[in-house]
Amino acid sequence: MRALRILTEEVANQATVVNEFEQTLLRIFILIIMFGLGAGLTPKDFGLALRRPWGVVIGWVTQFGIMPLTAYVLIVTVLFPFSSTEGVILVALGALIMGSVPAGTTSNLFTYFSKGNLALSVVMTVNSTLWAFIMTPAALFVYSRLLGLDESLSIEFRELAIVIIGLIIPVGLGMLIRKLSSNIGAVLELMGGVFGLLFIPFLIAIWVPRNWELLLTTEWPTYVVAIGLGLVGIIVAYYFSKLLRLHPMNARTIALETGINNGPLAIAVIVAVYIDNPGVDQILLVPALYSLFIVIISTLVTLVFRRANIAAEQKIPNLL
Amino acid sequence: MTNTPWLAHYPSDVPKQLPPVSFANLPELLRTAAAQYEKTTAFTQVMPNGMNGSLTYAQVDQLSDQFASYLREDLGLVAGDRVAVQMPNCLSYPIVAFGIFKAGCVLVNTNPLYTANEMIHQFSDSGATTLVVIDMFADRLPAVLAKTNVKNVVTVKISEFFPSVVGGVVRIVQKYWQRSLPKIQVEHTRFSAALASGKAKLSKEKVLGYTASVKSESLAALQYTGGTTGVSKGAMLSHGNLVTNTLQMIAHCGDGMRAGKEIVLTALPLYHIFAFTVNLLGFYYNGARNILIPSPRPPSNLRRAFDNYKITWLSGVNTLFNALLNERWFQDAPPKHLHASAAGGMALQASVAERWRELTGTPIVEGYGLTETSPVLTFNLLTGLAKDGTIGIPVPSTEVKCVDENGKDVAVGVAGEIVARGPQIMLGYWQKPEETAKSLKDGWFYTGDIAQMDADGYFTIVDRKKDMILVSGFNVYPNEIEEQIAAVPGVLEVGVIGVPDEKTGERVQAYVKAGLPAPTKEAIVALCRTNLAAYKIPQDVIFVDELPKSPIGKILRRTLRDEAMSLNSSGNNASKGA
Repeated sequence: MRALRILTEEVANQATVVNEFEQTLLRIFILIIMFGLGAGLTPKDFGLALRRPWGVVIGWVTQFGIMPLTAYVLIVTVLFPFSSTEGVILVALGALIMGSVPAGTTSNLFTYFSKGNLALSVVMTVNSTLWAFIMTPAALFVYSRLLGLDESLSIEFRELAIVIIGLIIPVGLGMLIRKLSSNIGAVLELMGGVFGLLFIPFLIAIWVPRNWELLLTTEWPTYVVAIGLGLVGIIVAYYFSKLLRLHPMNARTIALETGINNGPLAIAVIVAVYIDNPGVDQILLVPALYSLFIVIISTLVTLVFRRANIAAEQKIPNLL
Repeated sequence: MTNTPWLAHYPSDVPKQLPPVSFANLPELLRTAAAQYEKTTAFTQVMPNGMNGSLTYAQVDQLSDQFASYLREDLGLVAGDRVAVQMPNCLSYPIVAFGIFKAGCVLVNTNPLYTANEMIHQFSDSGATTLVVIDMFADRLPAVLAKTNVKNVVTVKISEFFPSVVGGVVRIVQKYWQRSLPKIQVEHTRFSAALASGKAKLSKEKVLGYTASVKSESLAALQYTGGTTGVSKGAMLSHGNLVTNTLQMIAHCGDGMRAGKEIVLTALPLYHIFAFTVNLLGFYYNGARNILIPSPRPPSNLRRAFDNYKITWLSGVNTLFNALLNERWFQDAPPKHLHASAAGGMALQASVAERWRELTGTPIVEGYGLTETSPVLTFNLLTGLAKDGTIGIPVPSTEVKCVDENGKDVAVGVAGEIVARGPQIMLGYWQKPEETAKSLKDGWFYTGDIAQMDADGYFTIVDRKKDMILVSGFNVYPNEIEEQIAAVPGVLEVGVIGVPDEKTGERVQAYVKAGLPAPTKEAIVALCRTNLAAYKIPQDVIFVDELPKSPIGKILRRTLRDEAMSLNSSGNNASKGA
């Protein structure tokens, strides 16, 4: 029961973009998806991910190195020069926060669909979320000063713990179920995949109509930042990993893990810290847009990665 | 008296002669195993995503009795009637195959990937009246059945005997995601209905009576062979052939195959004689749990099987072992419980064998045999001396020797055609007395393979006899020349054949698929000159985009020869015309 309640709280953070009923649906979706992902894993997979910690280390570097930097660069090269909005500095602040939060759990789903290293993805998500307690405020501190802002925030550890527990418990349960019955595990995994597929259009379908107005009134520099953050993060992390000669499967994992940040967490943090600020809507702008577009970007990237994986798959003739 | 130096190398756990066989036919062997291992899991079919179904020895025994009853009581078949079976590895396969034997009928294994023409040839040649087919491939039936004697069709689902929910999910995925279930347009009976009907009419006395007249020399299977070298013909394998070869193979493994303890991965298709005798019959009799893989392509399909089961034994072909060695998940976590592996079907490359031993820390041995020999003739020893690059020594109660063109034994170390004698040699080719006479002489089977035996009695394959080139009376083996040419930088693939030549009878012609940097004819000939006798040097080197290959990736020299001949004759005609 505890797992269910905690998960509920995590999803409740998306209150700004979804209503109660949709929240419940999303909750169920995520539960099933995470169960399913867990059922695709064995303790051996985690052992391997930890035995070669390079992936985790590189993922840490790209997560907290590339993402906040990308946000900063996009702000100073696109947002500031081309935006005519008055509260542009607040939009920039939102973008910085979005770039500084840790990886989100949807990265696990996309890694799974991309035929990446799911165990590594889960380990990276947990790792970056733990580190976020220090690294998110640190990144924000550094870059907001560079922007001439004097912002600081702290994340309540509780927020992070919720994310981690909400990830570990269903994944662990999924693994346990597979251990007990490979058949139930495989059915769960398949269901997780189906729900994962439905999850993407569902998220878009509930997001777009509600925020139609927002989409029409937002100016292009903000779009560039919201879309660019995830896209640039994925591309740079991918080639960075390739440069370090990581296995393509791990490079795909790190790319998605880096580019996909925890949108709901960013939104929750902003709501918690700036709820009394009259410009809170402006701060929320990039995280809200990012949360929509990252799903679309990741879907496209996943299609590319899947093709690459199929092309790299060993082709053998018929045996005998 | 045959020279048998290998007997000295038999380790203490391998008998020099097979003890007298107590089973009159295959059903007796199968029932003995079922009684002994009753409640143990006999077969587990594992899908690429890990979904699975299992049957115990007792279930396999009962269900195959039911199928035998269906064949005899419902379809009215009699002993000796041929039943064609066309399905990938799945739980239904052992039930169908064993049921056919228990009905006293004859099993005709058919590759599910066959084209309509190949199916027509095999069904009509064998005279099969009944076909058991996987529903995924039933779309070809209307075109095929009209041209054969097949009257009864039984269709099998890939998910047969899976837990119902899991089986339902597999069905839904097949139907709506993979769209691999065609509408079956011929009259057919579902396998489950056939079993139910057989069960209703089943009695112990009746089912035992079906095989009362089936003896060791009775026909058990028509196993078709020769598809790549000529018209496919049916090797007649008797109950005695299959029973003894099963026992010979087990005996030869010694302690390398532990009764009642093995979990064997069957990724090779059971319709092929290698997996049929070694995996299906051998490991069933030995009380193993058999993990059946419907499709090992791509090799990642095997991952869940290795993840979820403690695989102790693996039989395969070079391609499979090499593919597994190249899979990252396999390198990362090689099977911990593996005990031994056996390779057949094609040459096991020394590099693959070495890498396999290094990664898994377990032995892998190569063996040799043919469809006509049920199939096992020789194997390297799991618990004794194994020599890489050789096909090992003859299994117990088997004589093997190399002979020259006149059928005279050749000396140790001299190449000659392998001939073999033993209880596993087929009865002959189905309705082909001339072909039979060509291959079976005085109880010796002429394999058509050229090999040499060393002083220890280990055999090494040199080449196929059919591919041998005769240049000015000298024997030239294409393998030897191909090996040289393959070493030239930029040569991707090579096939060497002989073409008629006015002066020398035949001359050597090489076909090369070039990569980068593109090799020159001069470089190829130069290398051959340094390493080969003059008569072996290719006179022509022809660069091609693709070399013809069999479905399993062997280069088809026969097709190359046919192409060369037709080019020659058309060239001649053209010159005449001009």
